[in-house]
Amino acid sequence: MVTPALPPPAIVAPEPGPTVSAALTDANVRVTSAFSGAQIVLYGAVFDPETRPSDVVVIVRGPDQPIRIARKVRVAGLWVNSRPVVFEGAPGFYMAASSRPLTEIASFSTLRRLGAGIDHLPMNAPEEERIETRYGVRDVVVSRLGGDYLEWRRAVIRLKEKASLYATDHEGVRFVDRGLFRAEIDLPTSAPIGEYQTEIILFQDGEPVSRRARTITVEKAGLERWLFLFANERPWMYGIVSVLIALTSGWLASVVFRRR
Amino acid sequence: MDIYLPIAEVSVNAGILVLLGAVVGFISGLFGIGGGFLMTPILLWMGIPPVVAVASEANHVAASSASSVISYSRKRQVDFRMGGVLAAGGAVGALLGVEVFRWLRLMGQADLVVSLSYLIFLGLIGGLMLVESVGSVLRQRRGQPPAKRRDRRPVWLYGLPFKVRFPRSRLYISVIPPIILGVFVGILSAIMGVGGGFILVPAMVYILRMPAGVVVGTSLFQIIITTSLASILQAGRNQSVDIVLATLLLLGGVLGAQFGARASSRFRAEELRALLGLIVLIMGLQMGLVLFITPEDPFILVGSGK
Repeated sequence: MVTPALPPPAIVAPEPGPTVSAALTDANVRVTSAFSGAQIVLYGAVFDPETRPSDVVVIVRGPDQPIRIARKVRVAGLWVNSRPVVFEGAPGFYMAASSRPLTEIASFSTLRRLGAGIDHLPMNAPEEERIETRYGVRDVVVSRLGGDYLEWRRAVIRLKEKASLYATDHEGVRFVDRGLFRAEIDLPTSAPIGEYQTEIILFQDGEPVSRRARTITVEKAGLERWLFLFANERPWMYGIVSVLIALTSGWLASVVFRRR
Repeated sequence: MDIYLPIAEVSVNAGILVLLGAVVGFISGLFGIGGGFLMTPILLWMGIPPVVAVASEANHVAASSASSVISYSRKRQVDFRMGGVLAAGGAVGALLGVEVFRWLRLMGQADLVVSLSYLIFLGLIGGLMLVESVGSVLRQRRGQPPAKRRDRRPVWLYGLPFKVRFPRSRLYISVIPPIILGVFVGILSAIMGVGGGFILVPAMVYILRMPAGVVVGTSLFQIIITTSLASILQAGRNQSVDIVLATLLLLGGVLGAQFGARASSRFRAEELRALLGLIVLIMGLQMGLVLFITPEDPFILVGSGK
């Protein structure tokens, strides 16, 4: 459920050089039984004494979630799953919105350093790796996936994008007025629970000149939270209660119907 | 009305779930089966994670079986002693099955084994039921006498030790075959999210040679015990029972089961069996189809951390 609560406009002390500022319409997403995803609007402003061309990039990174991915292979005419590969370090939700395509805003190395954009997500499959000495160089990390690594990685991103959990939007940050911009963050129903780190980066001449961080918290609330905690903290009791509900309702129905 | 399920972590339409529960409950009461083999695939197609679907469905099967077993027991159509022996095996099977499923999930092979089990067991049993019952329906239409049931009971059933009297089934047999049958069905109930009635009923008729009158009631009785246990184990070991999902399904399920049980007296047993065989066969083929068609995307996410 999204409760619109616009915080008062931030008063920014005049600083030398350009700065960026931003606020979220909703920093706390409550997952209740009516939850069907949420849309959060991010408003921001660029304060720049001079009027240099500015680009804004908004990156939302959900809690890390190990990803297990398998490849379908044909064995004796049947499509079966290969042994799954576990990717670590990938977020459960990722969105990169920008005012222009990222590659036009900054150089590859700058983007890589900032971890800006899906192509720059650090994703490893540690179980597939081993450390070797190659050509006399020690501690070289070698992946069992070898050249296929990129294909696996692309598959992770493709599947996550299909589930609306990863998104890249080259026009996601829109300047609505001089120096004033907005971006929308769409959380699907399957968005993981936890803290979402939102980073707003102001680029000028291909260099990040100002950064702001905001946090979105997605948490289960109300009955959903209570049941989830019950299921995870006292699983055996939870199981017994659910079976009792089942058996009692079965018995009740047969009693009610017998009277009729 | 869309509702967010706390354990499955997906949003589904509550009305559709109740309706589905009622339809499957009706079929369950009509044929005297749990109905899990129908409901679990439907839940998977709705996007419920397999682990949650299988575990919550065990809970739903327990409810609809409890709803119909009471009426069977009033008509003295439940062999509690045989049901107890089967359930003892079922308990062991459920324990094993929950662990096997846990391991399969870690290996990323849960989907494959679920599809394959559906294809093999539903395909085989559905096909056999269909052939057998269509045959007897045709014979009846032609006015031929029903095929003689081989009354000679298999020798191996009597040669085994640990013989026990089952008065309600008019049997005096070893407990080993029913226990093995129970273990087998228990494993299936944990892996496939089914009660196992579609296997138990024919096995009781053709292997244990129980009188037709007590078969359905006894199978339901054993299913209640096995699925209740499987449900508690899934909740305890895997935290995968979604109580909201199970409750929505059983709301419709227990009512549907009552109507189904009433409707069952209007049909002939052979016709019912033919219809059930057809449904079972279609379900098995549908679930198994995924193994043969080339996937759209060669990669598949197999459950994140959970």
